[in-house]
Amino acid sequence: MSVLSSGEFWAFVGVMAGIYTLFTLGLQVQFGLAGLLNFGQVGFMAIGAYTMAILVVKQGWSMWLATPLAVVVAAAAGVLVGLPTLRLRGDYFAIVTIAFSEIVRWVATNEDRLTGGSQGTINLSGEGVATQYNGAWERFQGWVGDELHIGSKDVVMLIIVWTVALLLLWLTARLARTPWGRVLRAIREDEDATASLGKPVFRYRLQALALGAAFAGLAGCFYAWQFSFFGPDDFQPLITFFGWMILILGGVGRVWAVPVGAAIFGFLFAATRFFDFPPFSYLDSADRAYVRLMVIGLAIVLLVVFRPQGILGRREEMVLE
Amino acid sequence: MTALLEARGVTKSFAGVRAVDDASLVVADRSITALIGPNGAGKSTLFNCISGFLRPDAGHIDLGGKRIDRSPPHRIVRAGLARTFQTARALTRMTVLDNVRLAAPGHPGERLDSLVLRRGAVRLREREVTEQALDLLRLVRLDTHADSLSGTLSGGQRKLLDLARILMASPRMILLDEPMAGVNPALREELLAHVLELRATRGITFLIVEHDLGFVMQASDRVVVMNEGRVLMEGTPDEVRGDERVIDAYLGTHA
Repeated sequence: MSVLSSGEFWAFVGVMAGIYTLFTLGLQVQFGLAGLLNFGQVGFMAIGAYTMAILVVKQGWSMWLATPLAVVVAAAAGVLVGLPTLRLRGDYFAIVTIAFSEIVRWVATNEDRLTGGSQGTINLSGEGVATQYNGAWERFQGWVGDELHIGSKDVVMLIIVWTVALLLLWLTARLARTPWGRVLRAIREDEDATASLGKPVFRYRLQALALGAAFAGLAGCFYAWQFSFFGPDDFQPLITFFGWMILILGGVGRVWAVPVGAAIFGFLFAATRFFDFPPFSYLDSADRAYVRLMVIGLAIVLLVVFRPQGILGRREEMVLE
Repeated sequence: MTALLEARGVTKSFAGVRAVDDASLVVADRSITALIGPNGAGKSTLFNCISGFLRPDAGHIDLGGKRIDRSPPHRIVRAGLARTFQTARALTRMTVLDNVRLAAPGHPGERLDSLVLRRGAVRLREREVTEQALDLLRLVRLDTHADSLSGTLSGGQRKLLDLARILMASPRMILLDEPMAGVNPALREELLAHVLELRATRGITFLIVEHDLGFVMQASDRVVVMNEGRVLMEGTPDEVRGDERVIDAYLGTHA
């Protein structure tokens, strides 16, 4: 149990919660504001991470240029996915997005020369040449650590991720209160009524999808820096559903519910790792990994029963028709 | 009288059934025209074609001389023609005030670029829009509910909210889809007064689908009768009232 009292460990949990906050903030814009059922968010995260890594390693770009471009490419992928599909009914759109994220993963697995294939980014420069894309990031992290007199890299990462996350949360919360956000909320409730008031529904949905995809792309870059290398298997569909769990835990439609949901999810996910007492200790560690998901699932079931609006959601919104 | 809306030879089929079959009608500027007919006559389908929610298989629809039958709904609203739905479509999880503000045309705050680049213009317009929305809510006597979620309104209040909201879009012409359905007598009088008043003061043209023939006779200058997808006849309320074909269509007595 000593790990549980280690600051490093909890800093790591906090970093992951921060990355998931960025990731889920995208879902909040897409679903919480605009009502889009995006089940392929992890695909945009993968596109962000791979674009950044490939530009740095293969094109020799500065990380500071590659990262904004990676975010733009993720947003552009959102537009490309949205153009042919956003006119579909909600459930069809959901199916297309999950297929999209699997296509991204399989392309990343099979296009060895572009992505390093199933081995991941370690092979970006070809077999046998171990490759790193995060030199500039490490220097930046070191510089921040020196300035703040913090030795732990995890704590420095924690500070950077959450600074960015809080800034984007604040901007998104402001955006949600603008007339633009008002149109999105209207579309989520009743697209025909919104169209009948002169609003181009399709264009707003496309914007929401692209903006949410950009957040996922940025989450992908942070994920890449946190782990120093990654591969196609880091972008399993399960990641998208972690995002949805966070969204439901926190509360749909409220921007500040995202970090709350992400923190609780991160805590549960980390804490259940240490279920080494009976009856859990009778299981081997692989089975215990599933027990973790079951515990989180149970927490969500209880939440939906007793507090369907999420921890920060407004109850009255659930009962109005 | 000049024509504001002109539909010629509009046809729309669903799975081989002609819901609207070569229907033509003309709505004069500043008139109140009623569209009546038995259930299944094709009134709602024609309404959906005019408002852009359905694309006609054949025919032309012009608004003020400009063709609109290939335009999506939001373009038609911007061209000056707005509609309501049979059941009031309040956006229940938004406030009453936001429901009305939403309908404001040409709001720079609804564009991401001007939210960043023209913040002054956004603020100014939002203030104007809020004032205008509150005026409209006073008109329909919902101003005291401005900050409540519209889901807390009664069915009748939602009809009034629909009207205020649609006026916010500053249309030249309004399509009302069964405005009297499920409305109590007091509200009926109120809605009738609003329609007559809006035509008189703002010069708004109305096309109204309605089953309440008493309302049709009181409100409208012209009545168009549809049956089985076709326009059966049109005329003044008095002409329509006495016409045997209309009585036939409604009662089904093929005398």
